[in-house]
Amino acid sequence: MSQVNQPAAEVILEACNITKRYPGNVALDCVTFRVYRGQVNVLIGENGAGKSTLMRILAGAEKADEGTLLLEGRPVALHAPRDAAAIGISIVYQELLALTNLKISENIFAGRELCRAALFVDQETQDQRSTAALNHLRKPMDVSIETGRLSLGCRQVVEIARALDQGSRILILDEPTSALSASEAESLFEVIADLKRAGVTIIYISHRLHELLHLGDRFTVLRSGRVVGEAIRADATRAWIVERMSGRKEGAHDTSSTSSPTRTVVLTVSGLTLPGSVGDEAAQAPVHDVSFSVREGEILGVYGLLGAGRTELLEALAGLRPIASGVVAVRGRKIRTGNVRDALRAGMVLMPEDRQRDGLFPELSIRENVVMAAKTGLFLSRDEETERACKLVAQLHIAAKDVELPVTTLSGGNQQKVLLARCLMCSPSVLLMDEPTRGVDVSAKAEIYGILRELAAKGLSIVFTSSEIEETQALAHRVLVLCQGRISAEFARDQLSDDGLFAAASPSVAAAAGAALARPPGGTA
Amino acid sequence: MSTETPSQPRANRFGVASARLILLLLRARAILVLLLLLILFSALAPEFLTANNLSILTKHVAITALLAVGMTFVILTGGIDLSVGSIAGLGGMVAGYLLTQGLSFDGVTHFPPVAIVILLTICACLLVGALNGWLVAKAGVAPFIATLGTLYIARGAALLISNGKTFPNLGGTASRGNTGFPAFGQSFLLHVPTPVWMMVALFAVAWVVATKTPLGRHVYAIGGNERAARLAGIRVAQVKLATYVFSAFCAALVGLIIAAQLEAAHPATGESFELNAIAAVVLGGTSLMGGRGSVTGSLIGAFVIGVLADGLVMLGVSEFWQVVIKGVVIVVAVGLDQLQTRLEVRILPYLTTVRTKEGHS
Repeated sequence: MSQVNQPAAEVILEACNITKRYPGNVALDCVTFRVYRGQVNVLIGENGAGKSTLMRILAGAEKADEGTLLLEGRPVALHAPRDAAAIGISIVYQELLALTNLKISENIFAGRELCRAALFVDQETQDQRSTAALNHLRKPMDVSIETGRLSLGCRQVVEIARALDQGSRILILDEPTSALSASEAESLFEVIADLKRAGVTIIYISHRLHELLHLGDRFTVLRSGRVVGEAIRADATRAWIVERMSGRKEGAHDTSSTSSPTRTVVLTVSGLTLPGSVGDEAAQAPVHDVSFSVREGEILGVYGLLGAGRTELLEALAGLRPIASGVVAVRGRKIRTGNVRDALRAGMVLMPEDRQRDGLFPELSIRENVVMAAKTGLFLSRDEETERACKLVAQLHIAAKDVELPVTTLSGGNQQKVLLARCLMCSPSVLLMDEPTRGVDVSAKAEIYGILRELAAKGLSIVFTSSEIEETQALAHRVLVLCQGRISAEFARDQLSDDGLFAAASPSVAAAAGAALARPPGGTA
Repeated sequence: MSTETPSQPRANRFGVASARLILLLLRARAILVLLLLLILFSALAPEFLTANNLSILTKHVAITALLAVGMTFVILTGGIDLSVGSIAGLGGMVAGYLLTQGLSFDGVTHFPPVAIVILLTICACLLVGALNGWLVAKAGVAPFIATLGTLYIARGAALLISNGKTFPNLGGTASRGNTGFPAFGQSFLLHVPTPVWMMVALFAVAWVVATKTPLGRHVYAIGGNERAARLAGIRVAQVKLATYVFSAFCAALVGLIIAAQLEAAHPATGESFELNAIAAVVLGGTSLMGGRGSVTGSLIGAFVIGVLADGLVMLGVSEFWQVVIKGVVIVVAVGLDQLQTRLEVRILPYLTTVRTKEGHS
């Protein structure tokens, strides 16, 4: 409970000289990481820098090859996640590993159920304590509903509630905002401030620099498995972090040298509406009456909050979803909707949001991943495949030692580029990208932006979605804002502003109007 | 979500209500099918609803139900147990051997009493279950392959015990002090066959474990997301092991019951029983992907299969057609399961937005 403002803070947890080797690389090389009591300890680093590995070690999900963990000066041994929980360390993983088939309260007590008569689950007490924890986080929820039905933001709160109920002294948040909308992130920051006030020590990992600078008290920078910088809040600046992280000065970021698109219209979408939920066709359509066009060489950004219909829109264009009404045409050729092959033949290809789930084949090599979509004919020519794959690997600067290595040996940014290479193998005329740099570190982001601008300059049309305002501004020639499935605004590049985008994306007005609707018809309480 | 017209909410109310009704019907489909079959057969075959016939019917159902209850837990974790039929066969043969051949120590043959025979048989079967569990949970073999392997191992072992012959006359002899085994399958308690009591007791225990205990929660958690379960501190390997051992225990009971009913142990007993058990579990609405389903559903599923089989026999439907009809029922059941999943995906998000919104306001 030492809420000290002066940096006389004491170290609560120290990871000393941690080394962790994986076959082929050293993830952590003699890393010493200090966690200060009651502060927000920020850990920064590019993908593959070893942040998540270090956190898994602190959470007992993995064991270090060398090194010790000291909790308040005493060495502790963590063999399993439950050991870490027992000494008050909890983690909220980036992927939000909720048990979606269980209720909220069952999730909060999973693996540590409260028992009556030492045999039966004490559901009542579990419900009460879950409700209390969620109230404490100022996020009251009905704890008897299935976790799978919650939004990502709510799932995250549930996991934090779990940590809270365990009485955790140290809470690790691994990229907590990567899946959240701006407003959800805001309320998470409030929760963090509350926890800090209550004396909880936070370890915070993120790629978003403005968040880190806003939240952090202590900064530790990891690069290639080594600690390359430590600072307190007063000394940490944006430039310092970027320089430490990437090992080079910031500023090579060119946002201005964007080419301008030609006059030719490539993609036209008119009146696109997707089928909604059963029994509620009109109000729940994920995308409703959307029309726009994209010119050759244009980069169109689609901005919106979580659940605005961004992913649904792109998936419909790529033929992954059936369409209720509307027309999609590429260079005047109407696409048979709901047909992936037809969309591909017309030159429209989707790069999915979740590369692990929808993109990569983790068991296959880089080469096989790249050529996957371009296979034609009966037989496969290994030489031709290798040649084409190598060309793209070089063109996109994919940092691969050998194209025959499994794709999972690459870092997140490079995996993303492998997906991009696969899309380019189909020689598309329209590239659809859902969150082009999700889970990608700052320098790889800049690199991917550069590649996309280059491609656009060569005449490729790009439609991308993003929940990050920064990204939308950096990349797009023109921005459409989606709000609850409808286009709520359109901005040209020079009209873009944070406030404008955010206001257009916020459904506050619509939500107020919809409140009457939100009463459950037939309703259970 | 706009409210331009007042008619929209009413349309929604109707739509959501009908969607809920469809979902409810789909979820209750096993019991609906069961009722339908009961009505159908009692109308077509007057002797179907007699007490005597129902007693025989439940005895048949008990065999499938016992296996299905054990199988439910395995399937809930996302696994499968193909070896239960073979384990039942092996159990019968072990019991048969102990009753008719006895155990030899130093050239003297001892005949253990029936209680010990039953205990040793169950232990032998649990060993196979533990092997399943070890292969799946510790060695990381895919459940389908691991239990396919033990299916052959257990069946081979059953054949080896007697060189493929049947052990007859399991009634025991008074001089050896091992009489009374047939009562395990043939006796009655309060006019109800003992195997039916076993089914009821096992079902009750399984229901409590599944719904009221941490172990049950962990089984559902593992089936829902194994990695998340592990990171939540759940002992995944031990829980999985327990489900396979329990499944083998159920199979052991079945092996003993059949041997006791026939007063003979045949090494081919229980062939393809695993498929009936899996069918019952799936009919009962348990997802083969794990994480979703119930023990009650499996019990109802077992009744559907049992009623269908016995009813068709009473109607004089050809044996070959019976097989076809059973297959059709299973395929339709799985088809409905898919339909239910898809409907839930479409309906539930709507119902949730409503409920969480409430929670926030």
